[in-house]
Amino acid sequence: MRTPISYFLIVSGMLFAIGTVGVLVRKNALVIFMAVELQLNAVNLSLVAFSRMHNNLNGQVMAFFSMVVAAAEVVVGLAIIVTIYRRRQSASVDDANVLRG
Amino acid sequence: MFDLAWLIPALPLAGAVLNLFAGRRLGSRAGWVASALVAASFAVAVAVLIDLVALPGEERRHAVRLFEWIAAGAFRVEATILLDPLSMTMTLVVTGVGALIHVYAVGYLENDPRVGLFFSYFNLFVFFMLMLVLADNYLVLYLGWEGVGLCSYLLIGFWHDRPVAASAAKKAFVTTRIGDAAMMLGLVLIFVHLGTLDFETVLGPEAGALSNGAATAIALLLLAGAVGKSAQLPLHVWLPDAMEGPTPVSALIHAATMVTAGVYLIVRSHPLFEASDIALTVVLVVGLLSAIYAALASIGQFDVKRALAYSTMSQIGFMFFAAGMGFYAGAMLLLVAHAFYKALLFLTSGNVMHGLHDETDLRAMGGLRSEMPVSTAWFGIGALALAGVPPLAGFFAKDHIVNFASQSGRATAWVLASIAAFISAVYISRPLFLVFFGRRRTEARAHEAPWRMHAPLAVLAAGAVTSGLVLGLQAEGGLLERFLEPVTGAAHGTGTGPSEAVLIAVSIVIAVAGVAVAWWIWGSERVDWQSFPERQPELAGWLSNAFYLNALYSWLVRAPGLGFGRGLRVVDDRVVDGAANELGVAVTRSSRLAPILQSGLVRSYALAFLLGAVVLLLFMGLRF
Repeated sequence: MRTPISYFLIVSGMLFAIGTVGVLVRKNALVIFMAVELQLNAVNLSLVAFSRMHNNLNGQVMAFFSMVVAAAEVVVGLAIIVTIYRRRQSASVDDANVLRG
Repeated sequence: MFDLAWLIPALPLAGAVLNLFAGRRLGSRAGWVASALVAASFAVAVAVLIDLVALPGEERRHAVRLFEWIAAGAFRVEATILLDPLSMTMTLVVTGVGALIHVYAVGYLENDPRVGLFFSYFNLFVFFMLMLVLADNYLVLYLGWEGVGLCSYLLIGFWHDRPVAASAAKKAFVTTRIGDAAMMLGLVLIFVHLGTLDFETVLGPEAGALSNGAATAIALLLLAGAVGKSAQLPLHVWLPDAMEGPTPVSALIHAATMVTAGVYLIVRSHPLFEASDIALTVVLVVGLLSAIYAALASIGQFDVKRALAYSTMSQIGFMFFAAGMGFYAGAMLLLVAHAFYKALLFLTSGNVMHGLHDETDLRAMGGLRSEMPVSTAWFGIGALALAGVPPLAGFFAKDHIVNFASQSGRATAWVLASIAAFISAVYISRPLFLVFFGRRRTEARAHEAPWRMHAPLAVLAAGAVTSGLVLGLQAEGGLLERFLEPVTGAAHGTGTGPSEAVLIAVSIVIAVAGVAVAWWIWGSERVDWQSFPERQPELAGWLSNAFYLNALYSWLVRAPGLGFGRGLRVVDDRVVDGAANELGVAVTRSSRLAPILQSGLVRSYALAFLLGAVVLLLFMGLRF
């Protein structure tokens, strides 16, 4: 017997909620980054679950795509964070507010 | 020589171009170059005249076609030079008197650094004036008409660093523009009714075929142009102010030639005026009123040039008066004679100003005859000629006109013209006595002008003495009248009223009495004329302010114009600029709201993102 789709979606939703809260409440850019990764993986999980439900591979292909993109994004994002840290001796996103209106 | 007639206007034009571009390099020679070219133009005109006179009277009309100027459908205008007695009379006056005044100006403007520019304008004026009088259609005439207006503007304002000169130039330009605009409408009407602007057609038999209304409209519109250019009532206010220009300019443009262009226009267009039943009467009334008005105003002036300016207006009034009676040859005779003696008077007053360091106030002169004997003689000749003392030019010219009024049965006009002639004799003798006779009222040492300024004056004085005798000894059948007859036709009195001998006697008495009265008041020291303004402030005010017409126009036109301008400025500030400025302010203010959203806090953006997503999901969830 297959595990019902709802289990996966509940786990996925919880992971996404944890990630969202992480993004909203943490100041450290690295932690926010990890929380974003959590959100991405929550979505990946639901994609794979739907893929299994529909018995085709589209969802899994999509998940791979997002993993690749996430990896690329990590490279760029970490580079930015490291640069900001070097300039300001801080990785707090609240300090990086020079683009405010 | 007819084939070379194009040289007449071309030589002054060449001088204008030459002096404009090479005037600085020519330096003091610029004036001689300009004078020589105008004199050469005069020589060509004389040669053309000799050829023209050799033809029988009826064939004395030769048109030299130069090139096609405008061709637009049915509208064709050719640049053509018209050689006929009337245009040759004007050409000889313009180039002859013009050349003499050029020579005088060489001495007068000796020390002016911009002498090249001056003679460039001066030659350009002669060119446009010749285009005006030699034109064979109304459009070329209008070209010259506007051109002389431009040169008048440039030369009145030649010393433009003086604000009075600059504003006088503007006033002259704007005032004559009123007449010019009317004249332009007249030309349009001519084209609408006759389909062409060529003199041969417009002034031929077809003029008589015009309806009375059309002819009246055309004639009155042309008259408006003539009134503006010739400084007649009611567009005369620019002429006295135009005296701010250099004195040779006043002599050439504002006495001898340009201001008489209105008379030429009327004489040239006389078939159009005759086709209307009232146009000539209007000309007569305008001329007579201007003659009397300006004569009275001249008496009130203490600036010698302004007195002469009003005198010019008065004399041109006489010319209009003559033309209004249909006595065109009389108008032309006075035009020629006036060109001589008024140029002489102006240039002699230039000598006085030159000798007294630009003093123009009659009250600060007096008794100059011991230091300036030659100038005294010139001014005396000019003044007596204008006053109408026989046998000088003005006597014949004015006498014929005044007598013609009586002989053509216009008794009232004769009386008024005689009064104007009497005042003329008074007002022109006044500066003679105030400047050269009586006791000295100034400490300044005067000095006589150099010989080369006297040489042209001698020629002008000869003209002022003899031109009447030679050209118009008899009222009917004089040399000029017979010469002009193919163009103007002969004018004959009806033979009513007193006999000619009586009329001539009256004229002589009037002229001599006028001079005598002037001597008694201003020359004999028996009348305290200097305190007259205090004793009779009202009368003196009316005379010296020329009956306050200037102030009236100022009140009627200038003040409302300024008010309108200020109103427009308020509209510009409040409405036009206001709309643009207020829009900018509104955008600036509203843009201050945007920074509230853009806090720079990534987390608040993320929260907004999340809330947005939630709202979207709720929306979609509720819909399906």
